[in-house]
Amino acid sequence: MTRWLIPLLLALLLLAAGASLLAGTVWLRPAAILAAFTDPQPDLAGLIVRDIRLPRLVLALLIGGILGLSGAVMQGLLRNPLAEPGLLGVTAGSSLGAVIAIYYGFAASFALATPLLALTGGFVTAGLALLLARGAGTMALILAGAAISGLAGAGISLALNLAPNPYAAYEIMTWLMGSLADRSWDHVRLAAPFILAGGALLLATGRALDALALGEAQAESLGIPLGRIRLLALFGTALGVGAATAVAGAIGFVGLIAPHVVRPLVAHRPGKALVPAALAGALLVVLADIATRTIRIGATVNLGVFVSLIGAPFFLWLVLHLRRAAP
Amino acid sequence: MLRGAILLLAAVPLTGCTAASSSPAAPAAGRPMRVMSLSLCTDQLLLALLPPERIASVTWLARDPDSSVMTRAAALVPVNHGLAEDVIRQQPDLILSDGFSMAATRGLLARLGRPVTEIGGTESFDQIRSATRGVARAVGEQARGEALIARMDGQLAELARDPAPPVRVAAWNGDGFGAPPGSLYDAVLRAAGAINVASEGTTAAPDTETLLAAAPALLIRSAPSRPQPGLRDNEARHPLVRRYWDGARTLTISPAAFMCGTPFVADAALALRADLRRAPRTAPSFAR
Amino acid sequence: MSALALQGIRLARGGRLVLDGVDAAFAPGRLTAVIGPNGAGKSSLLAVAAGLLRADEGTITLGSEPLSAIGRTALARRRAYLPQNPRVEWPISVERVVALGLTPSLPAFGALPDAMQAAIDTALEEADLLPLRDRPATRLSGGELARTMLARATVGDPEVLIVDEPTAGLDPRHAIDAARRLRARADAGRTVGMAIHDLDLALRFAQDAIAIRGGRVLAAGPAETVFREDVLARLYDVRVAIRRDGDGASIRFLE
Repeated sequence: MTRWLIPLLLALLLLAAGASLLAGTVWLRPAAILAAFTDPQPDLAGLIVRDIRLPRLVLALLIGGILGLSGAVMQGLLRNPLAEPGLLGVTAGSSLGAVIAIYYGFAASFALATPLLALTGGFVTAGLALLLARGAGTMALILAGAAISGLAGAGISLALNLAPNPYAAYEIMTWLMGSLADRSWDHVRLAAPFILAGGALLLATGRALDALALGEAQAESLGIPLGRIRLLALFGTALGVGAATAVAGAIGFVGLIAPHVVRPLVAHRPGKALVPAALAGALLVVLADIATRTIRIGATVNLGVFVSLIGAPFFLWLVLHLRRAAP
Repeated sequence: MLRGAILLLAAVPLTGCTAASSSPAAPAAGRPMRVMSLSLCTDQLLLALLPPERIASVTWLARDPDSSVMTRAAALVPVNHGLAEDVIRQQPDLILSDGFSMAATRGLLARLGRPVTEIGGTESFDQIRSATRGVARAVGEQARGEALIARMDGQLAELARDPAPPVRVAAWNGDGFGAPPGSLYDAVLRAAGAINVASEGTTAAPDTETLLAAAPALLIRSAPSRPQPGLRDNEARHPLVRRYWDGARTLTISPAAFMCGTPFVADAALALRADLRRAPRTAPSFAR
Repeated sequence: MSALALQGIRLARGGRLVLDGVDAAFAPGRLTAVIGPNGAGKSSLLAVAAGLLRADEGTITLGSEPLSAIGRTALARRRAYLPQNPRVEWPISVERVVALGLTPSLPAFGALPDAMQAAIDTALEEADLLPLRDRPATRLSGGELARTMLARATVGDPEVLIVDEPTAGLDPRHAIDAARRLRARADAGRTVGMAIHDLDLALRFAQDAIAIRGGRVLAAGPAETVFREDVLARLYDVRVAIRRDGDGASIRFLE
């Protein structure tokens, strides 16, 4: 089963990517899409494909991928299927950094401000959570992360309250639910280096995660440098998820669902789940993004809502499966 | 029951019903000497109709150049924050408000027995005329009210006679078309002679794709005088928007021009007509 | 094959002295039992001996080298360690668990080399796990899990094998089976150390013993010198009688 999982996910992803280029306010024909690449004309279809939909697709792939990957690493590291990238407070800290960048004028001064401040926020919160829970085990880490997330959330509210822009609180609501609307190649250039770097760090933990299936004591005896692996996971998550949050807002749930769904398909081996989880995460976000652009119930529905809508049935299926399997 | 009756009387619009009040401080019929306004729209009408000595206060919004066209007049009178405490302290003869003042304050005013005149919305030229006449009657300045309306009508007639060439424009701030058909903003655009692409019947998503598909010649941004950092800066200027509509193809208009309808709304339409005459009129290059 | 020698080990945890000047040796080709009451420091001693816990004072040598000089991966290849109640935290297959024992020898990326697959198959066979090779390790009985963990520990043929409580929670047949397998490793020339509460089994299979109480070594050396009534009575603070008959020896604790 594992051998064809990755090719299958890649095929699905390719289909979804194609649909993403076709769908939208202005539905395009496949011929027009092809022409946009082979014979670039500055006409409506070409502009839409090359400058609006393609960067949006690339961002969806990168963000979904890093969220899925980070979730898989978190779950493998903590040996807990409910772990996700936001656990260490990275999402909340990154959001806080991004809010400060946007609403206090830093983003207007130089473009890299938002991702850099978001990354700083993510690193600070995750670092604090790790420090707080030093040596005290998984439960302590989860609690510390929840506490720091709460603090960061309060910080976001305070920052919005004090911001000079009176519409700040209203605008940020939709942003906090995640959105890829009107993203451009500028955003891709800002986020991609950090996401790719974070992804590389996370992929390097694969072998260690497999060994951790035996628990920390046995993994250490097998030569796994636990401290270094935790740092790799932390840095990788903060880099990747921080940059993703900086350009698209806080997209939740992907890091929880994607690894959970692929793990039974890789015989529950946490190291083997990393790449499939990244692909599944990318698929989920691309599909959700297509839905945002094609399904409109009154106003535009946010990306985060569709991620939950698409992902929840899988979760339900898992729950039912557990109930049937339970003694 | 009795309270309800007072509330009902107090809320009858457009009839300047100061006579319905039971306040012991009721002025000589028809000419209140200290008038207080609790909402931005009535602020501006009041400032246009009365001299500073007869104005008890207007809201603090009247001094904001991004919300109000009467900032110079507002600088000469005290301000309030729409609270009942302000009312009690300033002891006005008459209170003006539109339907959107704070409900708790409105209820309290009814209980205090203060005379209140409420006007309706000001989303069209007709509504502007009714509102101006309503406030003029309430403060006993009907003649001045008619003069303001006559000036506005004169300007609108001049615009109708000699409009700008029919340019296709979109009111665009980054989150969809900002001038939906039926809004005052739309009326101003049409009075100046422009064609509002929002009225071309699209219910599509408010994103850049829609804007590209509509391909207006010009964009109109309602920009505040002091730009504040925010999400809109971050996302409103998609590189494609910058590429095809920067510089001469983006006109700016103050949000104060259409936030509340005043008899001075035609000034904005005239200024817009001048801008439209100077601006390019062809569709952006990708649509030709 | 090398001897594992500990000298002057001192370890303090949370203000408490867990190991106080412990000298201990695990000889090659022999099974050494570490015995003592609860909280005596057996687990800590084994963890220190395995190089997983750093002592505050003292030296540990494997053969002629100090343990600290051996690289993490190299040490992982030469020494296997099983903690108390080893568990598997994901429902991976038995074969996967055994394969994990080869982690220190795996290349950084890529699939399992064929030579290693052969070692895994051999380990599964020797541990009578072939019919269970695809069973999720979370659905094994106590005895089956014990065999799986031991196979995991021995698949890479380490010089040193350290096991904490190998027979805990096992029925008599599986307990004897586990002890016998450990003794077989020792007979094959490896250095094997185990902490154990079941003294009858220790007496039967272990060749050397270390008796530890309150962080200090009470007695150490060949099993006969440690498994004596007076030593055991002092170790466990209970009257002890050792009965020998045709079937072997058994230790009786009397009130």
